[in-house]
Amino acid sequence: MFKRNETIGGWQTGILLFVLFFANKILVLPSLLYDQAGIGGIYVPVILFLFEFALLFLFYGLKKKYPEQSFGQILKKFGKFVYYLIFVFLMFYFLGKTVLLYNITYIFFKNIIYKDTSNILFLFCFLPIMIHLAVSGLRVMGRTMQLFFPIILIMVVFCIVVGVLGIDTNTMLFTSKSSDVFLSTFRHISAFGDTIFLFVVMDKINVKKGEWKVVFSLAGLSAICVIAVCAIFIFSYTYTSYMHPFALFEIMSYVKETGGIGRIDIISVVVIIILTYFHLAICMKGFLDSFVETFKLNNIYGSISFQIVFLILINYLVLNVEKAISYGEVYLPYISAIPFVIIPIFAIISLFFKKREGRK
Amino acid sequence: MQDFVEKLKGDMHNSIDFCSKVLEKQGDKVFFVYLKSITDNLVFSQAIYEPILEYNKELDFETLKQLVKSNDVTEVDQDEVHEKILKGSVVVFLSNSERFLAVDILKFNTRTPSEPPTSSVIMGPREGFTEDIKTNISLIRKRFYGKDLVLENLFLGEETNTQVVLAYLNDVVDKKILKELKKRLKKIKIDGVVDAYYLIPLISDRPNSFVKQIGVAEKPDIVGAKILEGRVAIIVDNSPIVLTVPFVFLEDLQSSNDYYTNYFYSSILRLVRLVGLFFAVVGPGIYISLQLFHYNVLPIKYLITVANSTQQVPFTPFIEILFITLLFQILYEVSLRLPSYLGLATSIVGALILGDTGVKAGLISPPAVIVVAIAKIALYTVPDQYSQITVLQFVFIFLGASLGLLGVIGGMIYVLAYVNSIENFGAPYLAPFSPFIFSDNKDGLLKVPITDMKNRPKAFKNNDEERINVQEE
Repeated sequence: MFKRNETIGGWQTGILLFVLFFANKILVLPSLLYDQAGIGGIYVPVILFLFEFALLFLFYGLKKKYPEQSFGQILKKFGKFVYYLIFVFLMFYFLGKTVLLYNITYIFFKNIIYKDTSNILFLFCFLPIMIHLAVSGLRVMGRTMQLFFPIILIMVVFCIVVGVLGIDTNTMLFTSKSSDVFLSTFRHISAFGDTIFLFVVMDKINVKKGEWKVVFSLAGLSAICVIAVCAIFIFSYTYTSYMHPFALFEIMSYVKETGGIGRIDIISVVVIIILTYFHLAICMKGFLDSFVETFKLNNIYGSISFQIVFLILINYLVLNVEKAISYGEVYLPYISAIPFVIIPIFAIISLFFKKREGRK
Repeated sequence: MQDFVEKLKGDMHNSIDFCSKVLEKQGDKVFFVYLKSITDNLVFSQAIYEPILEYNKELDFETLKQLVKSNDVTEVDQDEVHEKILKGSVVVFLSNSERFLAVDILKFNTRTPSEPPTSSVIMGPREGFTEDIKTNISLIRKRFYGKDLVLENLFLGEETNTQVVLAYLNDVVDKKILKELKKRLKKIKIDGVVDAYYLIPLISDRPNSFVKQIGVAEKPDIVGAKILEGRVAIIVDNSPIVLTVPFVFLEDLQSSNDYYTNYFYSSILRLVRLVGLFFAVVGPGIYISLQLFHYNVLPIKYLITVANSTQQVPFTPFIEILFITLLFQILYEVSLRLPSYLGLATSIVGALILGDTGVKAGLISPPAVIVVAIAKIALYTVPDQYSQITVLQFVFIFLGASLGLLGVIGGMIYVLAYVNSIENFGAPYLAPFSPFIFSDNKDGLLKVPITDMKNRPKAFKNNDEERINVQEE
């Protein structure tokens, strides 16, 4: 009688986007941006968020035209080859993101807190939660994020306010070359494009008419927060960014002790922990759904086993953590063609076809 | 007929409380069969036996019916005699007739309704349910003089044949929920239902889960309020608790006291309960993780105090906290089972002698004792979730000790995701927080005046959403 429903509403979609936009960009990204584009690193997230929002608008258009259909059903109109090709690409895209994010987070925690902890302990910590969230489905994931959202938002705003108070610099804007900015934009494009997850779970998103405003507002809020963190970091550590790789944590550790509260950088650690858990679970869910679509597997544990084996192999047999990150940074920009080029092309064509069908 | 009486006695394996009496009236015999352990002897003598004894004319079945001074008289078949006797009736019959008369004179020793120890209020009704189903039904019925309250009967348990009554408002309850509940109850094949708790796993969506999925109430005012919201109450004979479905976690954060006091104060109390719940579940885990992994975030003066207190302790913070928590749990178990005068002595031995001596001997540190004491006291801000919180407390102690904050937060996400996946009779377990339902939050973490709570909860379906229709002049 009471069937399991997988759909999420407008608020939960907005919160999902908030987490997706925010999660993997607040750790190492600002430092890398400054390294390559100097003060112009501030503009990089602004440019990349324009792409991200373009993707979001495309999703909005697609959802309006095909409210009930899944992305797979839309792609099937282009033939089986395109359908399989895109889902195989998506599978590897999410897999790559999972590995990269996992390793970046591992390095962060190893440096900041758990000095002697092995990678395997981390894997044992992250895997159960990732698997549990991914297997429980989108609705459970959305509801859990909804519970944590006020905590995340309050802490992020707190971090930003504290970061703004800590800025003490006379940095000059407009001193970077535009070529450096665009090169940096290309190199770090893989940190963006998370909106693609919405396409994978398209049929499970049920946003009512008035709720799209909420979705776009939360996405906008998240983008503003990321840009603010990047800007604060670059202003705070203008010349020493290479010594301070973990942006959100670093801007908080600028203010060591606040009266009787103690060190408040723990707040940034808590935010990073929560966001990392959710982002890894989202990546796993994205991989899982793409895997199921590609191989038509009803048994989701098959796909999860594949991903676990892949994670362990990547971490222990093929690469070490640092190599995984550096390879990721080299190759992921090309894989990012999936969210920013290939899928938009097919999405636009689908919209066009639909319109023509409608006219006929 | 004498053979029939012997057969009845044989069917009951010559039970010592089986009683049969024979009265000879003008050559005819009147038989009385009943169980003396569950019948009212005085009523039997005055209303049944004496009138028949004093009647000196020829006796037939119709006259027998007239002689019995009771409103609860029914004519039954021979097949039903056995069942009627077991349910507290005296069955009267004549040797020259095949007709049987059952007179209900059931009587148990029951306690009078009193205030249950776990649901006491400062102001408000103090009645609590008893073990007698009739009393419990009357306590609910007296709150609903309208014709919409439905009481439905069914019997469960092959050996106990326990009476179970469903109570709901016909125009308010969602028929799908009711149908599903009845389906689950009818599916139950069990030897006996000793208490309402026996039914909980049998009607839960996830019977093996540690999460509480069915509402439990000991007071009729609470059950009345839940019925008004569109829930179904399940009253079980011999049980002083009444079950309610659908159940959401918020119900345990609410207290009946909240509705009999100022709404500002109620809101503060609910926030305090939430904070208490948080401390109770993750407090010891966070303390261990701060000591083991994140000690540098503690304010320096506090860190020095903690370091001074713990430097003599031979155990790790994990062993220390685990030891104190286990000690508390042992004391709790002991104090529950011992007579109250010994319980007091145990508390003194436990709290003062063991605790104080343990600290002085340097086996445990004062901060650890304080943290566990706070967590254990905080646990009683949500007493209905006692067992669940205790289990989670141990889980988070392990997580804090092994993985620090990463483990504690991971554990929180895992538990909340698991709880979020539960839907009881279609009601999301953590509603109205996730999914966020604005109107239900008027009686959620904060409480607004009752005039603003115009609708019934939307966390689960009901047929009539409107509760209050305030006419503005």
